[in-house]
Amino acid sequence: MLRKEQNDLLTQTGPGTPLGRLFRCYWLPALLAEELPENECPPVRVKLLSERLLAFRDSEGRYGLIDEFCAHRGVSLWFGRNEESGLRCPYHGWKYDTTGQCIEVPSEPAESGFCRKIKLTSYPLIERGGILWTYMGPPELQPPPPAWEFTDVPESHRFVAKRWQECNWLQAMEGGIDSSHVSFLHSGELNRDPLFKGSRGNQYNLGDMKPHFEVVESPGGLYIGARRNAENGNYYWRITPWVMPSFTMIAPRADHPVHGHFWIPIDDENCWAWSFDYRVTRPLTPEQVQAMKDGKGIYVTFVPGTFRPAANKDNDYLIDRAAQKAGRTYSGVWGIAMQDASLQESMGPIVDRTKENLVSTDNGIIMARHGLMRAAKALAEKGTLPPGVDPAHQRVRSAAVVLPPDQPFKDAAKDALVAKPGVAHASV
Amino acid sequence: MPSESARMTTAAEARFRLDKPNARPRRVLVVALDRASEPVVQGLAQQGWSRASFFTAAAFGAARPGAEFSMPGWLKDLAGRTKDLIDEVAGADLVVMVAGAGGDAQAAAIIGEACQVRRVMTTGLVLGGASAAASPTLAQLRPWCNMLVAASADDYIADMLTALRA
Repeated sequence: MLRKEQNDLLTQTGPGTPLGRLFRCYWLPALLAEELPENECPPVRVKLLSERLLAFRDSEGRYGLIDEFCAHRGVSLWFGRNEESGLRCPYHGWKYDTTGQCIEVPSEPAESGFCRKIKLTSYPLIERGGILWTYMGPPELQPPPPAWEFTDVPESHRFVAKRWQECNWLQAMEGGIDSSHVSFLHSGELNRDPLFKGSRGNQYNLGDMKPHFEVVESPGGLYIGARRNAENGNYYWRITPWVMPSFTMIAPRADHPVHGHFWIPIDDENCWAWSFDYRVTRPLTPEQVQAMKDGKGIYVTFVPGTFRPAANKDNDYLIDRAAQKAGRTYSGVWGIAMQDASLQESMGPIVDRTKENLVSTDNGIIMARHGLMRAAKALAEKGTLPPGVDPAHQRVRSAAVVLPPDQPFKDAAKDALVAKPGVAHASV
Repeated sequence: MPSESARMTTAAEARFRLDKPNARPRRVLVVALDRASEPVVQGLAQQGWSRASFFTAAAFGAARPGAEFSMPGWLKDLAGRTKDLIDEVAGADLVVMVAGAGGDAQAAAIIGEACQVRRVMTTGLVLGGASAAASPTLAQLRPWCNMLVAASADDYIADMLTALRA
């Protein structure tokens, strides 16, 4: 349970809000690099942290993320002409460069220098790992570029996608922290999905519905270990890192690629669920890539031309009651991503946490909320930069390991939880 | 006509969620296992809780022949009164055992055994984070806890108890 004021604090990320300030300390995924595929391509509307922005790539290949609206009469620059190193408003021809600086006002004499007095808000936009990242905080506090392991592997070793989720970011992210739901909600997929099946870990998952949990802090956030019974008195551990504010990574299964998420607020009632898969030591196979494009694993298929899942609230997520009854899917919704999203969206745009009844196995969620509130307070009161900004905090991994009963995961799997070039993930 | 899900997941519809209690209060026992955790638990007890009780692990005796448990135990409430461990655990929904990093958490075995027999959920909380010093304490708690947490901030336990509606 959270008090109303706590729930408001954690779910509101617009300009000037405590959590909005926190999010603005980080490089955030803004859009896929493929959305701006070439110089002078059409601009793309981007809404992040309740700010309406526009991304474009100019004739020189420079990326820009600027206020969506022309400073003259408030026209959306989405209609703009991307030409000759700038984006020109089609209404009266005002032109902006990638920093938001107005570089031409045709109705004014060039010699007057009027255009130099006009500048739209802009944020840096850089490419890493197939994603265009932005930093929306004070320029003097801009951190080093993102250093997540999946952004460092060759393009052939990773797959990245995003989908629109129609609810607040926090209820979406909390699903990524809570691994106890997997044995229920996703039970149908564990032995069927091509990106999950065939793992010995799946049998441990399905064979022990009451895992024990262990939550320990990491420099950037948390490691959440779920412990289930394995053979000979050993324990099967699935270890999930959470890095502030909204990075989660799923523990690997067998030799499948490893996957994870970022949960990024669009506004307070919508978020982007970013998903990635990667392998450190070899490329993804064509079959794996095809499965991801086909909506398997943690991916979805889309309404054509959008990032809205094909199964969405407008079609009741294509719920299949017969499959639910027959046990082919636990909830009746097909696919891991939409099984999660359908339930999280059903809570309403912003879930009222004053009514929830958490139990002790929800301590991962409780601790993440505690960490976010604490970091937001330290930032607001003392200007302390939050955990997860330092690139070293981002060099984390998930892991799945079998350990003797007397060995805690935080010690025995210590090396497996740190990104190491050329070394595969620890997996069962 | 919008779908059922589209109609029912709007902010406007959220206003019609029932505004009535959906759970009865839970009884949570919070037990300080060592000296380092005693002042923290005493401080917590001063805050307003609905049905949380606060104790220190007081004493453990020798096993009685034929007893249900390997060892009888007693807790001490913050007024210094001795309470029978079994009676207290039997009425609890959750037992939270608290110890400082590096502290002696041996009592966890006795309390944990009582909880296992009575099918009561247990949470272990080690104050001071998951430092090297905390490892032996975590090891003492691990076999007896459904959930084990190492938290560096002392105020985490208050947030946790609030979240659990203690």
